[in-house]
Amino acid sequence: MLYDLRHSDLRVRWLVTLLLATLGTSYLFGAWMVALYAGFSPRKVAETYGPSGEMRMAMQMPPDTTVVTERSVSMAEMGEETHHVDMNLLVQDTHVHMPMYAVIAAALSLVTLGLTLPRWGGLAIITLLFAAPWLDFAGMWLTKLVSPRFAIVTLAGGWAMALGYTIVAALATYQMWWRNR
Amino acid sequence: MKTILLAAAAAVLLHITPTVVLVKRQDAVNRLLPGADNFAARELHLSSADSRRLHDAVGWEPPDGVVTFYVGKRQDQATGALIFMRVDCQHGPLELAIGFDPRGTVRGVEVTKATVEMKPWVLEALRAGLTDAYRGLAPDQTPAGAGKVKPRVGAMPGYMAELIDKGVMHAAAAYRLFYGRK
Repeated sequence: MLYDLRHSDLRVRWLVTLLLATLGTSYLFGAWMVALYAGFSPRKVAETYGPSGEMRMAMQMPPDTTVVTERSVSMAEMGEETHHVDMNLLVQDTHVHMPMYAVIAAALSLVTLGLTLPRWGGLAIITLLFAAPWLDFAGMWLTKLVSPRFAIVTLAGGWAMALGYTIVAALATYQMWWRNR
Repeated sequence: MKTILLAAAAAVLLHITPTVVLVKRQDAVNRLLPGADNFAARELHLSSADSRRLHDAVGWEPPDGVVTFYVGKRQDQATGALIFMRVDCQHGPLELAIGFDPRGTVRGVEVTKATVEMKPWVLEALRAGLTDAYRGLAPDQTPAGAGKVKPRVGAMPGYMAELIDKGVMHAAAAYRLFYGRK
């Protein structure tokens, strides 16, 4: 063990508690944002990140000649925007979010190093913390480039992120404030 | 630890601020397709050749190969068309609504979305009369709104005006090249 959160100075435990509370709050808002813009079902995620966001057209390759379709729409449909992340936005999202995810995974990993756990347990949690963002973005890119079926990988990444945070927050809180003697 | 802190600071600095709605899409439709009582979405799935043609004309093509015009109709007569256009920059995306009258000239332009950071810059450019410059623009004319407002606004609002010019140019090119396709 590199350091022991259970017997650490009150200031360290307070810092870790506030870090976990802040990250937890941001994760709750993150989940809210996902519900607003992408959804929690594979279909919704595939619509958001898939090619052109319109799976019904099933046109992943450009047609030989330009195809024109016309359908009636209501005012409400025009106002309703399906949030769709195209290639350019996904490049931007990946560039902006991956470093932040890495910093969050690193911060939670540092907390994990202070937990009383078997070595394999620590390794497993650290792997989970870093695997989650990789799964998240790999799923988005695979959904975009290979098949909408990979939306499930993005969902797995999101749940893995939540699971990793929950394990670390629960163990740290318990060990710092209830099992600290 | 120093690297982690620097990475955290860089991530915060590079983070794009959230999107805000400046004009609701429905309000933009009402303003740009006045009098229309029914609407149709005309979707053009561009061939590679047409995407290239558009790219050669204005240096842009829709990332997913689809251009959607919303056609406003009154008693089955087209009253105009509207297209929503996104313009990206390092500060985030802008969304514009560009309306065309039945002759194909620009009826009006609304900035429907921006990011929190870009909003004050966009509003300053709009207050300087940016969108007035687009009214009556023919699809083959180059938008020059930025040139008109730049002497009266700051550097970033001027940059926003350039981006809006670019979005109008992309929309006008799409209209000119493809709107009449059957």
